[in-house]
Amino acid sequence: MTEGQLAVFLGSGLRLAMPIIFAGTGEMLSERAGVLNLSLDGMMLIAAFSAALLSWATGSPTCGLVTALVVSLAVGYVQAVLSVTLRANQLVVGIGFNILALGLTTFLYREIFGPLSRDTIPGFSLLDFSWLAAIPIIGPALSQQTALTYVGLLLVAVTWALLNLTSFGLAVRAVGEDPRAADQAGINVRRVRYLGVLYAGALAGLGGAFMSIADSNTFTEGMTRGAGYLAITAVIFGGWDPWRTLGACLLFGFATALQFLVPAMNLDIPVALLLMLPYVLALFAIAGFVGKSRQPAALTLPFERGS
Amino acid sequence: MSKPPAIAPSHREFGSSEWLRRARLRFPLSLGVAVAATFGAMLIGLGIIASTGTDLTDAIDAFWDGMAGSTFTIGASINRAISLTFVGLGFIFANRANLTNVGGEGQLAVGGMFATAMALHGAEGLPLGFAFVLPLLAGTLAGALWGGFAGALKAWRGTNEVISTLLLTFIALPLVYWSVESFHLLRKPLSDVSSLPESPEIPDATKLPLLFPGDRTSPLHIGLPLAIIITIFVAVVLSRSAFGLKLRAVGLNQVAARRAGVRSGSLITVAMAVSGGLGGLAGAIMILGQQFYLTSDFSSGYGFDGLVVGLLSRGSALGVVLGALLFGFLRSGSIDMEITAHVPAAVVLICQGLIVIAIAGSAIFVEKRRR
Repeated sequence: MTEGQLAVFLGSGLRLAMPIIFAGTGEMLSERAGVLNLSLDGMMLIAAFSAALLSWATGSPTCGLVTALVVSLAVGYVQAVLSVTLRANQLVVGIGFNILALGLTTFLYREIFGPLSRDTIPGFSLLDFSWLAAIPIIGPALSQQTALTYVGLLLVAVTWALLNLTSFGLAVRAVGEDPRAADQAGINVRRVRYLGVLYAGALAGLGGAFMSIADSNTFTEGMTRGAGYLAITAVIFGGWDPWRTLGACLLFGFATALQFLVPAMNLDIPVALLLMLPYVLALFAIAGFVGKSRQPAALTLPFERGS
Repeated sequence: MSKPPAIAPSHREFGSSEWLRRARLRFPLSLGVAVAATFGAMLIGLGIIASTGTDLTDAIDAFWDGMAGSTFTIGASINRAISLTFVGLGFIFANRANLTNVGGEGQLAVGGMFATAMALHGAEGLPLGFAFVLPLLAGTLAGALWGGFAGALKAWRGTNEVISTLLLTFIALPLVYWSVESFHLLRKPLSDVSSLPESPEIPDATKLPLLFPGDRTSPLHIGLPLAIIITIFVAVVLSRSAFGLKLRAVGLNQVAARRAGVRSGSLITVAMAVSGGLGGLAGAIMILGQQFYLTSDFSSGYGFDGLVVGLLSRGSALGVVLGALLFGFLRSGSIDMEITAHVPAAVVLICQGLIVIAIAGSAIFVEKRRR
């Protein structure tokens, strides 16, 4: 493996990890509050589409990003109404959202882009810091990124601080462990959970937008290809801790990037096996063969006052 | 000493898992919700089609033609419903033990793959026209292993089966891709006419016998009687047998069930294996009865459709059959609608998503009425 190949591998691994880093970080906070959003993949897909659509229509990726954020917050709100207020089964609702998102984006894509599918979509430009690029190997990998990559990494730190240094974070953790006790201590369980789901929605939206306007600059039908599920797995793998979740996301990103590196190195490994590698790793992770951690006690359990 | 009367199985109880149990009611209301959600979603679907400027009568005509326009399309729709029935039955089987098997797609994919392998290598020689039995069994067994693995992880490692069955699906699909892409596995040899990554066609002897062999216009095959028998069998096991009661006990309270002498670990594994086996059978039937050769995307969402069918049925085997027929006919119609009236089949996905969300979201109201 040459130095150039390694740099490309690291750069593409980071780019492939970014959508999962965004979504996984938001989902981690929501799960700490006790709500699991299996709809993450659908949120990302809808956001990826809205970002592509608005960026294409206005020519401004920033406009696309903002739209994606608004749309995914709206989807997150509906998800919160269903899982928190209506106490619906969080897994079933999530699957429903994912089917709906796939149908809706595929339909709109064909209706709107149909014959124009070759049009390029304006995306964020690469930062290309020359001072950074001077560092061997990691330099080119880190500088061949859009600003959104750095926003994502920053958000991991922000989420960590939010969770561990603020009273909101304390409320989140209390609600996720024992909603009844939190309620008696005067915490508004419903409000905290709503905010948790909205946070997950917003970050999933950024992750989805990253796919269509910061990485590939195109939209394809079902383009998330299970990234949302991978993000949820990364949260479990990361033991509901922001930094370990980041590590898990990076691992999945690099595992996915292997499918580009391996053919470049003329190694005879079937691409299909590389395609399934992140999922095999994830399966090992959640089966507890790699470290053991405890999930928030009230995860997926709805809370009802006085029940 | 008298038996504990606490949890007597009753054929009138349709729900099983926590959310299903909360939603459980006399059959009419929950059925009413499902029917209302389906009709509401279809109305929205029609609205979406109308908004594209397509003539609604054209779209509906095309939809009807594809669904039930001829003996052939009716047979094809029912054949689709058969596969969906098996996946849906698998879902409610595991769900009786409060397990949510969302990996039907993966179980179906490995089932189809192993059925193809068996049909191509070694099943042809079976006597008396039973060459199709071995591939069916191979597919069922492969699905059972795929599902049972998730069950074992749940039982002995505490792994959430929703996540593990999903991940196993994302592992199964590349496996199928790999098998049809590699010449040393199932890919057919390159020839002048075809270089597509797919398996050769399975031998005629291994194809499922047609129900009306004289009538060339009906594709209905032996899967139909098989589906009827298995549906009745699953319904009886779930609601009338000691095994069904044990499943239910484990689903309600694992600790209590264990105290009562139920070996919950092996029961969970068996429940998931049966669930996955039914998914594998669905995949085998798709290959042996309809498609006759393996392609990398042959499962194309049937497993997820079957999952939705299982969710909608609220634990009732009869509900699974009705849902499977609905989705089987819908899918046939949507394919034709896309080809003839140029309405993207994704409209049907939108409707399906709305139905699932509406039913899950309304569970609380159904429960309130009951109090």
